[in-house]
Amino acid sequence: MRWRLTLVMVILGFYTMFAAGPFAWVALMSVRTTTEITANHYAWPKTWHWEKFTEAWFGSGYNVYFQNSTLVVCSAVLVLTVVGSMAAYALARYRFPSNRTIYFILFSTIVFPPQITVIALFQILVQYGLYNSLPGLTLVYVAFQLPLTVYILETFFRRIPGELFDAARIDGYGEFEVFWRIALPISLPAISTTVILNTILLWNEFLYAVVLITDESKRTLPLGIQRFMGDQLEDIGMIATGLMIAIIPVVLIYAFFSEKLIKGMTAGAMK
Amino acid sequence: MANVKLQNLGKRYAGGTQAAVCDVNLEIEHGELFVLLGPSGCGKSTTLRMIAGLEEITDGQLLIDGKQVNGLPAKDRDIAMVFQSYALYPHMSVRENLAFGLRRRKFKLEEINRRVVQASQILGLAPYIDRKPHALSGGQRQRVALGRAIVRDPKVFLFDEPLSNLDAALRVSTRAELTSLHARLGATMIYVTHDQVEAMTMGSRICIMNAGRVEQVGRPLDVYRDPANTFVASFLGSPPMNLMQTSVSLNADGQYLSLGSQFVNASGLMTRLATPLTNGQSVTFGIRPEDISLRPGSPIEAEVLNTEALGAETLLLLSLDGLPAPIRARVGRDERPAKGSKVGIAVDIDRVKLFDTTTGQALP
Repeated sequence: MRWRLTLVMVILGFYTMFAAGPFAWVALMSVRTTTEITANHYAWPKTWHWEKFTEAWFGSGYNVYFQNSTLVVCSAVLVLTVVGSMAAYALARYRFPSNRTIYFILFSTIVFPPQITVIALFQILVQYGLYNSLPGLTLVYVAFQLPLTVYILETFFRRIPGELFDAARIDGYGEFEVFWRIALPISLPAISTTVILNTILLWNEFLYAVVLITDESKRTLPLGIQRFMGDQLEDIGMIATGLMIAIIPVVLIYAFFSEKLIKGMTAGAMK
Repeated sequence: MANVKLQNLGKRYAGGTQAAVCDVNLEIEHGELFVLLGPSGCGKSTTLRMIAGLEEITDGQLLIDGKQVNGLPAKDRDIAMVFQSYALYPHMSVRENLAFGLRRRKFKLEEINRRVVQASQILGLAPYIDRKPHALSGGQRQRVALGRAIVRDPKVFLFDEPLSNLDAALRVSTRAELTSLHARLGATMIYVTHDQVEAMTMGSRICIMNAGRVEQVGRPLDVYRDPANTFVASFLGSPPMNLMQTSVSLNADGQYLSLGSQFVNASGLMTRLATPLTNGQSVTFGIRPEDISLRPGSPIEAEVLNTEALGAETLLLLSLDGLPAPIRARVGRDERPAKGSKVGIAVDIDRVKLFDTTTGQALP
């Protein structure tokens, strides 16, 4: 038994190095200057240039990008969670004509790659005066992620025994309260999943942002990082610093929600 | 306490070819424990859900205390329901589960606490009051579900197969507890089950349903002894009533019914019938297994196909010459004839039920 445990530990060790290695490398580069990095790609920092973070934050406009990203992603995730969960609940629990048709139309849009819709979305946003605006980008993000959100939540709501909702109705609660007090708290694991998924995907989203945002002051983080990639020169050091600023919130969010996720899953027991 | 009246109640699902429930007429009295009994898919649960307000009523009327409640939402009917899966809210403690319905009805906090404490004492839930449902055993969850109904002090209690998820021993004890709870609360209860033992032991009256229709309503023993038709006869009782085709033979020394190639004297039985039977008429002969006994030297002879000694009694599978299907008899525990042997049997003719062969209805 002992050698099996050792083997597992060795495999996991290698995997951790494989997964965490690039992250550690970028973390180290983020406190080294581009000249130092060019001289030796993998060296340990001689002096820790923490001032690069201040420089990126204030000097290179990362405070603005960060703010923009936070605003867009938070509003998009909020709308996605509220609208997505309500839509999923209705599709999972209510019998009405064309319920399945709506579901499949919504679901089928998952297969479209974003490149197909980007031009159409561009024209729609221009027409409604939402082009090059953060609300416009937020709406596009909501539209882009809604099918997957509904799909995940619908599957979860469908698994909750119907008697639970009947019991709440008999206990005197109306349809919305049943959703709010019963369905949502029980579905916390599934909702955490969609929140994590949407946050990470949208936080890193580049294609729509680059097409739909042009103003310097409206850029999101992925576009900000791109700014350091010049035609002649790539400021590797600053890119690494920018990446670290972009990564930290994602790591924090994941750490916070994954605990909830595991808690929710182990609590289980619907009956 | 309330009385519940179902008038021509029916349920038809959109797109369904057949009605799930059809023409149900029942009157459930104040303080009665009324059992809806039937095989799965017979419409008993749908009927209960219509009373609860969880299913829309498509035909007929539902009256609670004389007031028509067809369109009234579940929350306004003042009923409580215990579900088969218990349907406890998994994210709430036992205390919160019990208080959930009361909080909605805007009871004062002291009143909520008083009722929760009282119900948890009645049901012995006090030690688990702060646990979540997943940390409770099946029996404890069942009690919480019951408690959630009791705290509400509703007009009508509805039970949808509440014991079917419990193991056999717990089911027996909970059955007794439910009966004593009913006596103690004196509340109107409607109880759905497919378990005839529950129906027989708990019900003030039982209603047997089949294919969305009511087959018979009555006190448990009356329904058992006097089934209205062959469905009830073959559904109630374990093993059920023996039903066999028989023909009437009238001659000078009496009135006889055939049992295969043999005859049984049924003069007493036939004279009690409202409409006399004619010679050669075909009827269905029904006899409960416990009304058949072994009697050496009896003119009716049967071959023993199988013997099941159950300890308290013995079940015999008997073949009568000329009858297509074997019949069952329940005899004393010491009577264990050998398999393949020939025995004489006697039929308690006063307990025999005759049914119309075509309609299946009992002959009056």
